[in-house]
Amino acid sequence: MPFLGVNLRDIVPKAAVKLEDLSGKVVAIDAYNALYQFLAIIRQPDGTPLKDNTGKVTSHLSGLLYRTSNLIEMGIKPIYVFDGVPPVLKAAEIQRRKEIKVEATIHYEKAVARGDMVKARMFAQATTSLKDYMKDDAQKLLELMGLPWIQAPSEGEAQAAHMTRRGNADYCASQDYDSLLFGAPLLLRNVTISGRRKLPSKNVYVDIVPEVISLDAVLKQCEITHEQLIDVGILIGTDFNPDGIKGLGPKTALKLIKEHGTLENALPHIKNAEFPHPPESIRQVFLRPTVTDNYKIEWKEPNVEGIVDFLCRQKDFSEDRVRKALEKMQEGTEKQKGKTTLEKWFG
Amino acid sequence: MFKLKVADAKLLRDMATAISILVDEATFKIDPEGLKLRAMDPSRVAMIDFEWPKTIFEEYVCAEPTRMCINISELLKLLKRASKDEAVELALDEKTARLEIKITGKYTRNFTMPTLEASEEEVPTPKITFNVKAKTTTQGLSQAIEDAQLVSDHVRVEADAEKLVLNAAGDLMGAMITLQKGSDALLDLEVKENSKATFSLSYLSEIIKAASATSDIATLEFSSDMPIRIDFQQTKEGKLTFFLAPRIETE
Repeated sequence: MPFLGVNLRDIVPKAAVKLEDLSGKVVAIDAYNALYQFLAIIRQPDGTPLKDNTGKVTSHLSGLLYRTSNLIEMGIKPIYVFDGVPPVLKAAEIQRRKEIKVEATIHYEKAVARGDMVKARMFAQATTSLKDYMKDDAQKLLELMGLPWIQAPSEGEAQAAHMTRRGNADYCASQDYDSLLFGAPLLLRNVTISGRRKLPSKNVYVDIVPEVISLDAVLKQCEITHEQLIDVGILIGTDFNPDGIKGLGPKTALKLIKEHGTLENALPHIKNAEFPHPPESIRQVFLRPTVTDNYKIEWKEPNVEGIVDFLCRQKDFSEDRVRKALEKMQEGTEKQKGKTTLEKWFG
Repeated sequence: MFKLKVADAKLLRDMATAISILVDEATFKIDPEGLKLRAMDPSRVAMIDFEWPKTIFEEYVCAEPTRMCINISELLKLLKRASKDEAVELALDEKTARLEIKITGKYTRNFTMPTLEASEEEVPTPKITFNVKAKTTTQGLSQAIEDAQLVSDHVRVEADAEKLVLNAAGDLMGAMITLQKGSDALLDLEVKENSKATFSLSYLSEIIKAASATSDIATLEFSSDMPIRIDFQQTKEGKLTFFLAPRIETE
C-alpha cells in the first residue's frame, strides 16, 4: 500500500463501532486514501484492476459507488476531501513511493511471466497509482451521487481534520493515523473497507470492523499533549520523514517524549537521530497545516439516470447491480428522514 | 469496596434486561446511597435513566463513590442461570478489577467477569416542556404498541383532553389505537396543549417490553415533535425512565 503514514497502532486506544450507530453523522473522508484502497483491493485474482472497454481503470469507481451507497444507506453523510499540492517536505516520500511502484511493476511482470498469480496480485497492488483521469472520474461520480467533495489546498487529511475541528463534520475517516497528528478529534478507520480482508502476502483473512479513535482518549491514555504526540510521530516516522529513527518503535518513542518532554530534549538520548528536514519544520506541517475555510457542504438528491449512464453506458458496469445499489441507498435515505437524536435537546 | 445482595434474582435480571436493550457496556455510578446509570444508546436516539437506592437490597455496602463498567449482556447471561427465588450477590474486587457474581439457591455458583474502563461521559437531561402527561398500564401500553407494529415501523402519538391516540401508517395498512380517558388502559390524562409526535416502534416496543417486567404503570410525557419521556413506576423504590427522540416529518 502506498499509504503508510505514522504507525501509532500500538499506542492508541480504539473502540469498535457499528456503521449503523454512525447514522446521522457527517464523516469527512480522506478521498485519496479511500480511492487508493479501492484501487489496491478491487482486483481480479491475477491482480488486474477492473477496466472499461477502452482500458481505463474503474476499480475505484466500483468501490466509491458500492461502499458510499452503503454508508448513505446507514444514514451516514459523507464528504470526500481530495488532496491538493503536497507539502514541499513530502518530496522525498513521493519519490520513494514512485520507486517502490517502479520496482513492483518489474516484479509484477516477472510473476505474470512465470504464472505465479498470488505474487502477481501482491505486486500489482503495490503498483497502485492514482492517475488524474481516475480522480476526475471519481469527482464526476460523487457529483452525480449528490455528494459534496472538497478540494484541499494541500493534504486532504489535514483539511478533513480542520473541518472536523470547526464542527462541519463529526468524524474524519482515513486509514492513516496522521489525521490524529493533524488534530482530528475523532478518527474513523475501516469505514471505506469492510468485511474480510486478506493480510498482505499471507493466506490469512481477518475481519475488518470500523473503529473509532478519539484524540482526547489517546492523549489521556498516553499522558501527553497534542504537540508531544506529533513529536512521537516524528520519531517513529511520518510522510515527511518516512524512515523515522532506525530501530525506534512507537512505545520507545512515547517513553522518550514523556521522559524528556520534547523531541529536542530527547535527541541527545537517541542514537542515529537523523532527519531529512529540521524536526521543527515537520512539526509545523502538523500544527499549522495549509487548509482552507472556503468550502461548501451540500448533499443533494442523486441523479440516478446520470449515474447509470456514466457507469453502465460509459464504464461498462452492470446496470442491474448499479440500480439495485442505488435503490437500497435511497430506501436508506428515506428511512433516515426526520430521524433526530436526543443531543438536539441537551441545549 | 462495593457489594450488594438481592434475595430474588429476578430483580437484577429484569434491570439488566432493561439496560441491555440500549447499551452494551454499562457504566454504573455507585455511592453509599445506591447505584445509578444514565446512558444513551450508541445512535443517541434513546436514553435510560436508572436509579436504585440501597434500601432495595438485602445487603448493600459501598465505602466510597466509584464507577463500574460492565458488559451488560455478558452479565445478563450469568443472571439468566439463576432461578426466580435464588439470591444473587455482586461484589467488586477492586484489586483485580473483576466483578464476582454469586448465585445461591439449590447449589452455589461463583462467576467472575472483568470490569471495563468506565465511561466518564455525563449524559445531560433533555430540556423539554411537556404538554401531555398520560398514565397508562404497562400492559395496555404494550398491547397498543404491538397493534401498531402490525402495520408500520413508526407511530404517531397524539393526545387531546379526552384521549391518547396511536396512529400508525404503513405503506399499505394503517392502524388507529385509541385509549379513552377513564378506560382501563388509560389511568390519567393531563393535557396542556394538544400534541403529537412520531417515534420508532422498534425502540418503543423494546423499551416497553423490557421495562414492563419491572413495572405495572407507565407515565408518558410528550409535546409536539419533542422527545418522549416514559417513566416506569417501580414496584419497590427506584427509578426507571427512558427518553426517546422523535422522527420529525418534513413535508
